[in-house]
Amino acid sequence: MFTVRTPLVFRARRRTVVTVTAVVAVLLAGALAVTLLTQGGSSTSDETVNGNTVVYAAGHQPLAPDFTATSLTGTPIKMSSYRGKVLVLNFWGSWCPPCRSEGPTLAVLSQQYGSKGVDFLGDDVSDTPENALAFTRSVGITYPSINDPGYVVVQDFSQATPVSETPTTVVIDAAGHVVGMVLGQTSYGEMTTLLRDAGVNK
Amino acid sequence: MSVNAGFATASTDFLIAALLIYSLAVLAFAGDYAFGRPHRKETAKPAVPAVAQLATVGAGAAGAGSAAALAESGPVESGPADAGPAEPAPPASSGGGTGLAPARRVGAFRAIWAAGPWIRAAVGLSGLGILAHFVAIVCRGIAVDRAPWGDMYEFVTALTCVAAIFFGYIVVRYRAWALGVFVMGAVVVALGLAETLIYTAAGPLVPALQSYWLSIHVTAMTLSTGIFFVAAVLGILYLVSERYRKRVAAGKIQSGNGLIDRIPSAAQLDKLTYRTVVFGFPIWTFGVIAGAIWADQAWGRYWGWDPVETWAFITWVIYAAYLHARATAGWRGARAHYIQLLAFATLMVNIFVIQIFITGMHSYAGVN
Amino acid sequence: MTDVRTPQSPADTAPGGPAGESPAASAGWLRWAWRQLTSMRTALVLLFLLALGAIPGSLLPQQGTDPGSVDQYYVSHPDLAPWINRLGLFNVFAAPWFAAIYLLLFASLVGCVVPRTFRLVGSARTPPPRAPRNLARLPHSSSYSSALPPAAAVDNAAAVLGGQRFRLRRPAADEPGYWVSAEKGYLRECGNLLFHLSLLGVLLSIAAGGLFGYKADKLLVEGQTFANTVSALNEFHPGRLVSGDSLAPFTLTLNKFTASYVESGESAGQPSNFNANVTYAASSGATPRSYNIRINDPLAVDSLKVYLIGHGYAPEFKVTEANGTVAYEEATPFIPANTSSLLSDGVVKAPDASLGFEGVFVPTAIEVEGTLESIFPAANNPAVSLIGYSGNLGMNSGVSDQTVYQLDTNGLTEISGSPHLLSPGQSWKLPGDKGSIEFVGVKQWVSLAITYDPGQVPALVCGILALAGLLLSFFVRRRRVFVRAVPAASGTGSVVTVGGLTRSDASGGFEEEFADLAAQIAETEPDPGQPQEPIKPEPDHTPEPGSHSEPGA
Repeated sequence: MFTVRTPLVFRARRRTVVTVTAVVAVLLAGALAVTLLTQGGSSTSDETVNGNTVVYAAGHQPLAPDFTATSLTGTPIKMSSYRGKVLVLNFWGSWCPPCRSEGPTLAVLSQQYGSKGVDFLGDDVSDTPENALAFTRSVGITYPSINDPGYVVVQDFSQATPVSETPTTVVIDAAGHVVGMVLGQTSYGEMTTLLRDAGVNK
Repeated sequence: MSVNAGFATASTDFLIAALLIYSLAVLAFAGDYAFGRPHRKETAKPAVPAVAQLATVGAGAAGAGSAAALAESGPVESGPADAGPAEPAPPASSGGGTGLAPARRVGAFRAIWAAGPWIRAAVGLSGLGILAHFVAIVCRGIAVDRAPWGDMYEFVTALTCVAAIFFGYIVVRYRAWALGVFVMGAVVVALGLAETLIYTAAGPLVPALQSYWLSIHVTAMTLSTGIFFVAAVLGILYLVSERYRKRVAAGKIQSGNGLIDRIPSAAQLDKLTYRTVVFGFPIWTFGVIAGAIWADQAWGRYWGWDPVETWAFITWVIYAAYLHARATAGWRGARAHYIQLLAFATLMVNIFVIQIFITGMHSYAGVN
Repeated sequence: MTDVRTPQSPADTAPGGPAGESPAASAGWLRWAWRQLTSMRTALVLLFLLALGAIPGSLLPQQGTDPGSVDQYYVSHPDLAPWINRLGLFNVFAAPWFAAIYLLLFASLVGCVVPRTFRLVGSARTPPPRAPRNLARLPHSSSYSSALPPAAAVDNAAAVLGGQRFRLRRPAADEPGYWVSAEKGYLRECGNLLFHLSLLGVLLSIAAGGLFGYKADKLLVEGQTFANTVSALNEFHPGRLVSGDSLAPFTLTLNKFTASYVESGESAGQPSNFNANVTYAASSGATPRSYNIRINDPLAVDSLKVYLIGHGYAPEFKVTEANGTVAYEEATPFIPANTSSLLSDGVVKAPDASLGFEGVFVPTAIEVEGTLESIFPAANNPAVSLIGYSGNLGMNSGVSDQTVYQLDTNGLTEISGSPHLLSPGQSWKLPGDKGSIEFVGVKQWVSLAITYDPGQVPALVCGILALAGLLLSFFVRRRRVFVRAVPAASGTGSVVTVGGLTRSDASGGFEEEFADLAAQIAETEPDPGQPQEPIKPEPDHTPEPGSHSEPGA
């Protein structure tokens, strides 16, 4: 190694530093990328997840979008007409076992809370009206469902809050804000908790 | 679309003709070895390493001399018309008339004429065979109304034509007709095997192949495979020649006027092989890129590690290794050629093993 | 490419560094490791390892492309499969060891490319070397007699070379002699560096695509609409940094799918064309447009691409209960069991009528010795054979390991009269007053792949740049030409010697270029009226021991 420090050495040293840095950067970036690419999952910060229930903190509750759609029996449904009352919106399909399993629970809840001013609405996806009505008949669901075979309403609704699986049950307060939702099959207890969060007293 | 049976039959007929003509050409090349004009004995010189370094100032220009390993000689001394029998090919001093300098002053065809009746016949027959081969491919294309490389049979037919044409280019540019037996012989073998083992009747393409990308991607692969084919033959010749040279240098055998003395020296073959691979490698790279663009159009992703894609990648990597090896001390020479031959082997595996036996999205071989 | 690195000296091969150095041994080890990493030898080894590592990825079933085959491999090789899995061979291209190989390779690449870039910049700034004294010893040289004095002759040569875009160097004021040095071909090294850096760019683009892109599949029956949202997709493979709400909000309706097949001849039954006519809207307010998606012709919507991947038949069934209420009515996708005849399997589940059916659909039905077969993939003579079951289909218990294409017949009673063959329009009145099932008609379905890959275009650009760099590095020669003039012995004029050499042996052609240059230099001399001697190349190849070889050898 040179014992006399000439400018040539400075330049050489700077080059070495640059090169080494570049290589280390490549290795680190690569390792990072590979670890990132082979993992999955994500979460956001302004919500709490408890089991399958997601509750939005006050001030972070997304506004449910307005949309118009057609029910299974052909009548028009307008989302804005549900403003002023708490709404339980259930995304379901007659082909979907967890949806079928929670059907009776929703039927019971709709009877109990209907008198307390809570509306229930279904969004029937990837289905035909005949199949869907056969199901609602068999479990005693009397509230209407949107005929949404192409997930168009789901897409609209996902602009506010992501609906990534079927079933999903969303609770919307009287002002139109999404209070929380249950991902996957819901239970009586989860629904009553959410309804309480939405300001409905038992 | 329907197949034009007349042209399909014509294609097969022309191909058989090409095979026969090529075979005769190979015989003529061999005849030149056996009965051709005696060549001057080449003194076995040690092959000078092909490392060239730029001349440094003044007298320390010794390194410059080593760059002349392969006939990068100065302008030729003889006049333009001076291509008489005494000077078969410039530079004519040694090497048995098989030097690889592209001489500007002596026309290629004069040189071929001057090389004797056997070479004249061989080159002429090769040219005729290439013509028949080419016509066969064109007929096939007309018969099926598309680029005629849509299944394995058509692919092998086309690549052997490319190899033959490329060899013709080498003969003209580098006067390398001494390699004729080997390269054209390999072409005959390949084409014969294609004709007998993997012949597929002319037919329409499956929808996945109905794209103008066929003309681009498969053409590039056909061209580069044909060129790599030639490089592989040259590589084998190099290894044989290098081994021979070593044995002569060790005194184990005498150099003489045998077959092996007629072919260019190991150093020349090394250089020629390198230039051939250099020619084919960018075309292969382009073919892979074009294939990726086409895969994106057809399959929704530009690279999916489909077995054929993977092996094309492997082939590319090993040719890259060959190019790196030539620039690495201790890996030049025979080792680099082993790498090059390994790369060609992976190409062959890709075509004949992976496409036939491994299911993937590339299974368009048409071979059952 | 020639190796500009000096061969490894003994001091380089062992850690510790040159003698007399004070730093700790670890610095010596680091330097040794560094030299090993960035050596050509390591690059070679890594290239081989990369190729070798890719081989199992092509021969063994891979998780990423075909998970079904991986499961099958477990079944057929129960002892071997777990070991293969431990070594990561079922997902080679995402395995850490494969990543290690290419990461090291790219680290080695960067470690070589960066110093060479510095060197290139440096050499581009330093002028060419002085002309050697004896140009006759160069591989290419020629000389001629000129009528011009040396200075003028050299000026003329310099003008010619400068006109050919060579970089020139003339002697300094205090240097003796009349000469000019010229150098050209820096693009070669530029091309080399561009090629290697572009490869790095390709890698980064692929990584970006993997992180921010996604792939999804959707099966759609004719007449159905689909809105691009996560729950609508049959399969969704997002990159790590993709969230569900970053999906472009387009909607698409499959109007009609047409498949044509070769009618006759040797290739009868082979598909000749597929066409999915769709109407789509890029977002909820946008005007709908229509498009024909075909193979090799995807739909591009809003930086996404929608591809036609597969197709099949969806026979439509109507299940009516004994009391007349309709329990089920839907075009049910059936999955092809045979890709050439399109004989397909499927199930019909009417849980609210406690009925389930397994079906085999044949597009062009013939009966061969009692077995239903399909002889042609188009729906020329459709028929479906059904096996009926009654009982609790088990769909109400919440958890199901059946897909929509499977029926778990445990606990179900087979309906007598199965299998029952139906043509379109026909009904099967089920015994025991269970109702009836009608085969209404046939629709087709397509499966679409929706992909978003932001790294796609950058990868292509880098690929093209790599190719450009490759061509430059192969076909541009770095070469130097020198011209020296000395006064002629006769007193007037001078003897001009031109010499040249090329650094690389990649492509020939320098002989011709040199000869042209030499001729041009000689011929462009202004004629002072005196006859000049023609170009006479000197016999310059006097073989010196060990320095040249004979031409043609």
